[in-house]
Amino acid sequence: MSVLRNISSGLRSLFRKEQVSQELDEELNGFLEMAAKEKMKQGMSRIDALRAVRLERGNLEVTKEVVRAAGWESFVETLWQDLRHGQRVLCKSPGFAAVAVITLALGIGATTAIFSVVNAVLLRPLAMEEPAHVVFVQETWQGIFPGLSVGNFADLKRESTSFAELCASNNASFNLEARELPERVDGEIATPNYFTTFGVQPIAGRVFTAEEDKPGQARVVVISERLWRTRLHGDPSIVGQLIRINGLPTTVVGIMPRSFDPLLSNSNLWVPAAYTAEQLADHDSHYLNVMARLKPGTSQGQAQSELNVIARRLQQQYPMDNQDRGFRLQPLTTALLGDQRLSLRMMLAAVGVLLLIACANIANLQLARSRTRQKEIALRAALGASPNRIVRQLLAENLVLGIAGGVVGVFLAYWAVAWIIAHGPGEIPRLDQSRIDAGTLAFGCAVALLSGFLFGLAPALRSASTRLSEVFKSSTGISGGSRDRVRSLLVVGEVSLALILMAGAGLLIRSALLVSHLDPGFDAANVVVGRVGLPDPGYHDPAVARQTFERMTTAAATLPGVESVAVVSRAPLAGGGSSNGLLAEGKALDPGNLVNSQLQIISPNYLSTARVPLKAGRDFAPQDTRDHTLVTIVNETLARTMWPGENPIGKRFACCESGPKGHMDPVWHEVVGMVADVRAWGLDRQVQPEFYMPLAQMPPSAWDWIGRTMDLVVRTRGGVIPIHELQSTVASVAPAVPIYRLSTMQQKISSTLERSHFDTFLLAIFATTALLLSSVGIYGVLSYMVAQRTRDIGIRMALGASQAQIVCDVLGFGVRLAGIGLAIGLLAALAATRLLSSLLYGVRPTDAVTFAAVSLILLVVALIASYLPARRATRVDPIVALRYE
Amino acid sequence: MADKPSDLVQGTLDMLILKTLALEPMHGYGIAVRLEQMSKGVFRLNAGSLFVAFHRLQRDGLIRSEWKATENSRRAKYYVLTDHGRKRLNSETREWGRQVAAIARILETS
Repeated sequence: MSVLRNISSGLRSLFRKEQVSQELDEELNGFLEMAAKEKMKQGMSRIDALRAVRLERGNLEVTKEVVRAAGWESFVETLWQDLRHGQRVLCKSPGFAAVAVITLALGIGATTAIFSVVNAVLLRPLAMEEPAHVVFVQETWQGIFPGLSVGNFADLKRESTSFAELCASNNASFNLEARELPERVDGEIATPNYFTTFGVQPIAGRVFTAEEDKPGQARVVVISERLWRTRLHGDPSIVGQLIRINGLPTTVVGIMPRSFDPLLSNSNLWVPAAYTAEQLADHDSHYLNVMARLKPGTSQGQAQSELNVIARRLQQQYPMDNQDRGFRLQPLTTALLGDQRLSLRMMLAAVGVLLLIACANIANLQLARSRTRQKEIALRAALGASPNRIVRQLLAENLVLGIAGGVVGVFLAYWAVAWIIAHGPGEIPRLDQSRIDAGTLAFGCAVALLSGFLFGLAPALRSASTRLSEVFKSSTGISGGSRDRVRSLLVVGEVSLALILMAGAGLLIRSALLVSHLDPGFDAANVVVGRVGLPDPGYHDPAVARQTFERMTTAAATLPGVESVAVVSRAPLAGGGSSNGLLAEGKALDPGNLVNSQLQIISPNYLSTARVPLKAGRDFAPQDTRDHTLVTIVNETLARTMWPGENPIGKRFACCESGPKGHMDPVWHEVVGMVADVRAWGLDRQVQPEFYMPLAQMPPSAWDWIGRTMDLVVRTRGGVIPIHELQSTVASVAPAVPIYRLSTMQQKISSTLERSHFDTFLLAIFATTALLLSSVGIYGVLSYMVAQRTRDIGIRMALGASQAQIVCDVLGFGVRLAGIGLAIGLLAALAATRLLSSLLYGVRPTDAVTFAAVSLILLVVALIASYLPARRATRVDPIVALRYE
Repeated sequence: MADKPSDLVQGTLDMLILKTLALEPMHGYGIAVRLEQMSKGVFRLNAGSLFVAFHRLQRDGLIRSEWKATENSRRAKYYVLTDHGRKRLNSETREWGRQVAAIARILETS
């Protein structure tokens, strides 16, 4: 009640100022009159009476001020006055205002833009119910974190009590035939409680029932709203209709909302997992994504301890498959977005540093101005303005700058966010959802106000503490030593911050250059790659599947401009792949002796088509079929890991299948060749042990591992890429089967580097801006110093100092500032760049070459920035200087 | 002692004003004179502290004001005690009595 009254009365004083002030005048005048009348009754003259009242009761003008200042509204009013005054002052020096606003807008714009990206990618909760309670479960084995085997998932689901829901899915892609050309669509094979785990309801229809999750039931699918609107034209009657998936008619039972993408994998459809008894007993294939919702009141730590107990039991029960295997729980958000954290935080830190440099620059400009404004401020103080009021007024001036910079900065940020979305790497999840919204705007405003405060406070306090007598005394205007020290300190700080950014950017650039010169291990020029997945129903028979791929390569090889065509289960840089544990001959059959290695199933001409250099032994030949000795070709890394220092040719290892005598009966593969390492996972990634197996010798079950999907590798003679011819060739051999992810090898290579190039590019821009801003800082301090010392310089020149000496002096001062900043920056950068180590390839975070190079660049720029004021100093005419003031 | 009242504990002046207004509505000068009379000249009130106190009491809803003609047919702002103000005066008077008694006891014993 009283607060309301307070506000309304305050608002009345603000908006009906005239009336309120008039009333107060009238009341006080009445008071004065009545008091004076009283005095006059005692015989005083009117003038004496009025004077006596004033003596007794105090000056009524002061009383008015005191009463007016009593309410909160007076604060608002003076603030408004201060802001308007600030704006007027700034309009009087448009040059300064423009420089300050642009500097600040750069800082605020960059910070706001990067923050909106961080907000969209990292901070915004996942689109599901209580995402904090959803965890991601992985196995842990020899330092890697594979998915769960179906068997382990089933056991976990049966035995754990910590979870309200525990579900599994694995990513898959499907041939979808709906109305038009066949298309490959990404989706998931999920358990029926997948949707309830995330607590999201379909927008139409329903999700799977437990009944539909049994092998051999009618085929059903839940589709995404995106797929429904694009491919199925938003057909309102789609629920209940049949669409053909992998060649089989499947009933659409429900549509999930557009926002539903719990694993951020752009899934467009979900089919029931319907694990068979055989799958449920399999503890050896580790590929399931497992997600769980913690029971209310159960902590992640408690759930983890329960999983540890279950893991120990599983180790005892399945010693072959589960030895050394544990489980790891992570919040889903961490599992999905953890990789993004480092580089996004790096960006945020970088723009923060940029903003600090911008603020330091403006503080510097303000300090310079505050000296020329000393007399104005002293005069105000002499007229009775309290130090408080002066600080407030100067701060308000900076606030105006901050607001102006913020407005321009937000416009910059709009543009920058649009640019980042358009050019940013596609692999960052949710990047396309970055936008300037209320949250980021609030962030931008807070940054603007805070920075206005930050760069305004030091100069304002300094001005307010100025002693009047000094100002009026020192009209010759030299002195001001401590102020110059503050300005020098600011410049030193700017330089060292800039150096940190430059060191980071330098390291990333050097790393990117090194990576771009790496040999991918094969000839990537003139190679086109596309994926083909044969649907299970028509191509279940391994012989049919193999013959289909063989016919496809033969047909494609006859296309004009094509030199040769091969198939491989995963082409380099195509992502994914399957791995196997290999046991070298002569070692005991113990899981500890297994070497984990990537498997590539290839047609015999693959290595020659991709031009992977053969280092020893022979290539596969057409006669390497299952009737003959099983043969394999290994890469150098596998040879080194398995038989260090020995010739691998003729050696044997067991893998991939078991012999007729059951689970423990090894099947031996003889190494007939060794090839160069192929950087199959990205140029900047560690090469994995890898072995190749001929298509004609693959175990029949391997068709299921690779999902009957292979990459067609086409070497052309250069010139036009025969995309349409390839599509129709594939369709002529396997009707209704699409070829997808069709692109050149060069494109695949650059897309794996897209991310690191983007990071490098952004950081380089920030570092360049930081360098420019801090050189402006150096320039500003030195020009100011030269202007202040015109008289000194004039005297020295009159006494015979040469121009060279003067230049040396000024340059020396500039270089000294830069040098101190450089030293501090180097120390800080050494500590800071350590955080970058995981983003670097082939460069240590303390790389001396990079540090030397950025230091040199910085010194050169500092010299240039110092040279201009130095030259101006030599133009001082001693006569004019001595007459100055 | 002329300027001392402004140094008093803030609530004291407010309480005295409320007490003065408990009898009848009064204008600012009337309140000042009444306070000085009742205190037998111990308090002489500065206009500044007096009007700030009016302002404060009004904001707190303890008094309200209206423009009326004085006995000399001048226009003056009269202050009136509200119900809320009357309650506050009672409670503060009690509290003041308790404190004064306590302070007096302490001063007598030591």
